[in-house]
Amino acid sequence: MSDLLEIHQLSVKLQNKVILSDVELSLQAGDILGLVGPSGCGKTTLLNVIAGFIEPCSGQLTIGKEIKVSADNMIAPEHRNIGMIFQGYALFPHLTVEANIRFGIDKLSKQEQAKRIDPLLDLLKLGELTQRYPHELSGGQQQRVAIARALAPQPKLLLLDEPFSNIDARLRNELMIEIRQLLKHLNMTAIFVTHNKDEVFTFADKIAVMHQGNILQTGLPSAVCKQPGSWQVADFLQLGSWLPVVVQVLEQSNSLISAIGDFVLEKTPLKNDPIAEVHSDSIEIEEFIAGSNQNESLQLLIKPQFIELCKSDAPANVQVEHISITEQGYHYLLSSLSRDNCLKFDQLSFYTDVLLTIGQQIKIAIKSHDFVVFSNINP
Amino acid sequence: MAPVLVMLFGGISASTELFTHLWQTVLPDYIANTLLLGVLVVLLSLIFGVTAAAIIFHTNVIGKNSLRWLLMLPLAMPAYLVAYLYTDLFDYAGPIQRALREWFSWQSPADYWFFDIRTLPGAALILSLVLFPYVYMLARTAFEQQDQTLLKASRTLGLSAQQSFFKIALPLARPAIAVAASLVLMETLADFATVQYFSVNTLTTAIYDTWLGYGDLAAANALASVLMLFILFAVIAEQKARAGQRHQSHSPDKNHEVALLNTVQQVFACGFCWLLAIGGFILPFSLLIIMALEYSDVEQLIALLPTGKNSLEVAFYAATITSFIALVLGLYRRMCRDRWRTLPQQISGFGYAIPGTVLAMAMLATFGPLDHWINNLAEIAGMQEPGLILSGSIFGIIFAFVVRFAAIANGTIESGINQIPHSVDFAPPSLGAGLAKTLHKVHIPLLKPSILVAWLLVFVEAMKELPAVLLLRPFNFETLSTQIYQLISDEMLEQGALGAILIVLFGLLPIIFLNKNNEKKNNKNIEENT
Repeated sequence: MSDLLEIHQLSVKLQNKVILSDVELSLQAGDILGLVGPSGCGKTTLLNVIAGFIEPCSGQLTIGKEIKVSADNMIAPEHRNIGMIFQGYALFPHLTVEANIRFGIDKLSKQEQAKRIDPLLDLLKLGELTQRYPHELSGGQQQRVAIARALAPQPKLLLLDEPFSNIDARLRNELMIEIRQLLKHLNMTAIFVTHNKDEVFTFADKIAVMHQGNILQTGLPSAVCKQPGSWQVADFLQLGSWLPVVVQVLEQSNSLISAIGDFVLEKTPLKNDPIAEVHSDSIEIEEFIAGSNQNESLQLLIKPQFIELCKSDAPANVQVEHISITEQGYHYLLSSLSRDNCLKFDQLSFYTDVLLTIGQQIKIAIKSHDFVVFSNINP
Repeated sequence: MAPVLVMLFGGISASTELFTHLWQTVLPDYIANTLLLGVLVVLLSLIFGVTAAAIIFHTNVIGKNSLRWLLMLPLAMPAYLVAYLYTDLFDYAGPIQRALREWFSWQSPADYWFFDIRTLPGAALILSLVLFPYVYMLARTAFEQQDQTLLKASRTLGLSAQQSFFKIALPLARPAIAVAASLVLMETLADFATVQYFSVNTLTTAIYDTWLGYGDLAAANALASVLMLFILFAVIAEQKARAGQRHQSHSPDKNHEVALLNTVQQVFACGFCWLLAIGGFILPFSLLIIMALEYSDVEQLIALLPTGKNSLEVAFYAATITSFIALVLGLYRRMCRDRWRTLPQQISGFGYAIPGTVLAMAMLATFGPLDHWINNLAEIAGMQEPGLILSGSIFGIIFAFVVRFAAIANGTIESGINQIPHSVDFAPPSLGAGLAKTLHKVHIPLLKPSILVAWLLVFVEAMKELPAVLLLRPFNFETLSTQIYQLISDEMLEQGALGAILIVLFGLLPIIFLNKNNEKKNNKNIEENT
């Protein structure tokens, strides 16, 4: 399949402030992309550039075959054939549900209009509500109307700006699944913006993580979680905690020294499954160790599922700082007992069914797995 | 309220014979003129005001920042002043026609056509030139407060910026525009001096003539009652329009796109706005200043003092009493859990709709008999008769002002009260403070700016108000506005130019003050958005 959307070296400046710099992104027809990142990273700006509300100062943006936008060739939003669902839905308060949905296609003949609207009303279960006004609808109903309105002109690309942020947490998951099924049914290409990573995992086929006006990594959600390209990605997606480690280069094997024990790096598993080198601060461990200085300090990403509790008579290496209760058992934040400045930590996340008390000192160990190490992090 | 009921009653009980006489002679004309004038002024004000607001908010017109506030200034101009100044400028003996005759060597009016400003359309134009800022201000505010994502949504659905304006922005601003239109209509129906000067016979001039000219209070009452019916219509329209103003997003997106005009559009937009600003304020004000420079001297300035003092005195009392009452009513409404707590405020707000002429008639109809009754009582009691202490003193004027301007003060103070979060009402009692201390230490200090604005607005309106004073003033009691009106009637405004400037300057005060507050709020919004 060919790419429906292609963005090349796109930059945006607003009031002399760089909001987006050299953004690269492509999206295949029929894919749903989840655009995530901390607030202020430029997600909504990127969406507005694609929609045509903000002009890029350089770079190209191609939608389908016909629409090619650059700084010299701005195309007005109404000529881009893009549908958009806004954060507050932006339903026209003075028009009924039906008139809202009809708004974008009122140049078509009455029959054509009905042909488009009726199936949408059925799909979105809006048949009963056509004569109501937006303020008479619940949040979920309003959102359905917004979707029907955006889909009625049969756009090539659908943009959704935090579509689920105003929905009750309990209903949210249900709605996301429902709408995802609808978009898949229509084979609609969509980009949706959120700051909630869980929404991406439920709703999107692909994920793009943004940070300070840049897209750091794009890919399948599972792949990105397994191998985050940079510490910001791992940090934003809250993939685990940071464990300070120091490299020790030896003749037979290399090892990482940490406050909770040393890990001898066997070379075979790493070779078979090397850590992707996507960005400058993501490092293939072996390669890095080969060229690194003895005793250089790094940060090891530790996912909670790789931490295990050792027998209670073993000498302790961490202390419990905070306890909370979750569906996955007790969640503890642990701090190191080591006094070594380079190695100490205080925010290690850990889940277990065993009840501990605050201040209790325990021993934990890390199960063997593919390590992901970063240098220069600043979480 | 009571005086209006008395007047309506008096109006109804006015001999049917007299009413049929009026109906058979002049009344249909008066009513037709009044209606035509109202329709014309509302239409023109809408065209001026909405277009100007759209240009200022939605485009990149040159000089936008100055025009934003310049377009509000005409509100400070009393219509009758502009009427006089423009007549001076444009009539046969005026400088414009003289110059034209000289250039083209025309001899007499038969040689050329020139519009006659002293007509009904002329009066409508002049009234709209000073009243359109109501529409402009309310429409602009409505545009500014609209959720801009609605316009964006319209764009993604295939409509151009222009189409989006007509299909989304304008319909959404309609309630606000309707409110402004009914304000304009009320002001037009209340206008007396402009139509009087242009010899356009409307209901207000008829009331004035019937009372002062023929001394027929009953007939005047009847006419005032008819006018009141029209006003009632405007009030109902306004209430309906306000009821429609309910849809507002909670956190509207205020970052708006500005349409870029090409050169031709720029010339038109710029020309339109500047014409309005010049026509409504800059030109008449300059004419006044020229007049003052040419004719004024120290003597005139001294002659100005007693009338100026009267004006200030009346306006000061009216403003103080009105603000105080508004404050009490507002706090009563906020603090009491009574079901009818909003009623006194609503009733007192009705007074704004009543034209000064009608109000004055109502006062005369009520206080006249009351005065007689007091005098009779004094006579019976063997005391000296106090004379017309109610209807024949400045008490009547101040009372009329308080009734007429209560709505302005109520509105201002009410919006101030609404900005105080309700939790603030509950905090002091939880700290052991009683109601008196709560009001004294918390609410009144918080409301100080609103009270000041309310006071200022009433003060200025009271300075400008003419018809009520004309009818109610004691003998030999002149205020700046009556004096200027007198001079205008005698075609001698030169003598009063300084006083007129004074009225305009006072009128500018609240506009500047309010505008400054608004800009501050806007700047804050912009900062929050970026």
